[in-house]
Amino acid sequence: MASLRVVIFAILSLFVIALPALAQNSTEDLVRRMAIDVTAEVRKNPDLAQSQTQLAALVERRLMPHFNFERITKLAMGRNWSKASPAEQRQIVSEFSKLLVRTYSNALASLKDLDVQVRDSRKNGNDVTVRTQMIGRAKPVSIDYSLESAGGSWRVYDVTVEGLSLVTTYRDDFNGMISSSGVEGLIAMLKQKNGK
Amino acid sequence: MKSSRAAVLATALFASINVSALAQEQQVNDPIEPINRGIFAFNELLDTILIKPIVVTYNTVLPKPVRAGITNVFSNLDDVFISANHVLQGRGKDAGTSFGRVLVNSTIGLGGLIDIASMNGLQKGEGDFGQTLGVWGVDAGPYIVLPVLGPSNARDTIGRAARIASDPRTYMPNAWSYSLTGLEYIQLRADNVDNAKMVDSFSLDKYNFSRSIYMQRRNSLVTSGKEASSSP
Repeated sequence: MASLRVVIFAILSLFVIALPALAQNSTEDLVRRMAIDVTAEVRKNPDLAQSQTQLAALVERRLMPHFNFERITKLAMGRNWSKASPAEQRQIVSEFSKLLVRTYSNALASLKDLDVQVRDSRKNGNDVTVRTQMIGRAKPVSIDYSLESAGGSWRVYDVTVEGLSLVTTYRDDFNGMISSSGVEGLIAMLKQKNGK
Repeated sequence: MKSSRAAVLATALFASINVSALAQEQQVNDPIEPINRGIFAFNELLDTILIKPIVVTYNTVLPKPVRAGITNVFSNLDDVFISANHVLQGRGKDAGTSFGRVLVNSTIGLGGLIDIASMNGLQKGEGDFGQTLGVWGVDAGPYIVLPVLGPSNARDTIGRAARIASDPRTYMPNAWSYSLTGLEYIQLRADNVDNAKMVDSFSLDKYNFSRSIYMQRRNSLVTSGKEASSSP
């Protein structure tokens, strides 16, 4: 009986030791797949780079599932989140993710000749930061992905390019927008940006 | 007993997460925002009616290799200042790399025309007087939009003045000084066409967006400068 407990304890502690390591590898792999495979695909198909709709479809298919847009929006809204009604919150999440997908797919064509290398990752509780480097220009560009585990899968909730955090930048932008023209003003602006 | 301890722990964890999230939501230091917005609008207008058309002409008249050469020559001059600032920040290794770049590019690189150093693993670093002041502990101070030059803050404006005072172009005859500075400005704008477009399409309010980007970028440069100066 006592030995069984020891065995169970040993197995459990193995999990405790091994799990973070596994998590770290899986997040590095995830980021590698996201960043490298997408640029590689654009490089392989020159036609793809010509078509904005195809690029957007690629981003939607390959990247969007790994981004937690609700969390990104919530963080970018900060203390303004509670000022929006549930319906408004849903609208903001959907318009904001549209804006990000569209602008990112526009930029993708000019990024296709660049290579992405995963440097390392750091785990902090339920949170992993995977640091990558984009090379191919005069200076390497550092891109850090912040991921969070929820419901058994890792999803990105912030991207930091050369010290510029996506969430912080939009928090400042949203904050200014909301204090001058309210939550409705923000939604109107997002829609206008998305060309509606 | 155990579950209550877990609850306390969980609460403490969440509390600390919330506190750090709140701490990130600091007020932006922009007391002269109305004036800054005015200057920002002026800069935008200047960019639309004057700078962008010049950049378009510039890109058509000069072939790409010539433009790349111009970028490299100014970048080489900048490396002199980068290495000086690495010294001032106590970053021995980075100072060596930056100074090595100047040596290699000024000689084998034909006076800076070709960035031979980058091709040989001497990667371009980052350093300026504003960053040095930050590494020394000077606060960024309020956000300031400079006419023509764009986003800055109190600390970086002093840094810029130091750069101008120590730049050899300042002591050249006026015609040279102005044309070289103008050339650098146009080439810089040409090199940043993609970035400017990105800001246009990503931002809701371009003023807030640029301010956020500028402040974050400068903070991150000061942080990395501090890290590099404390590690041997």
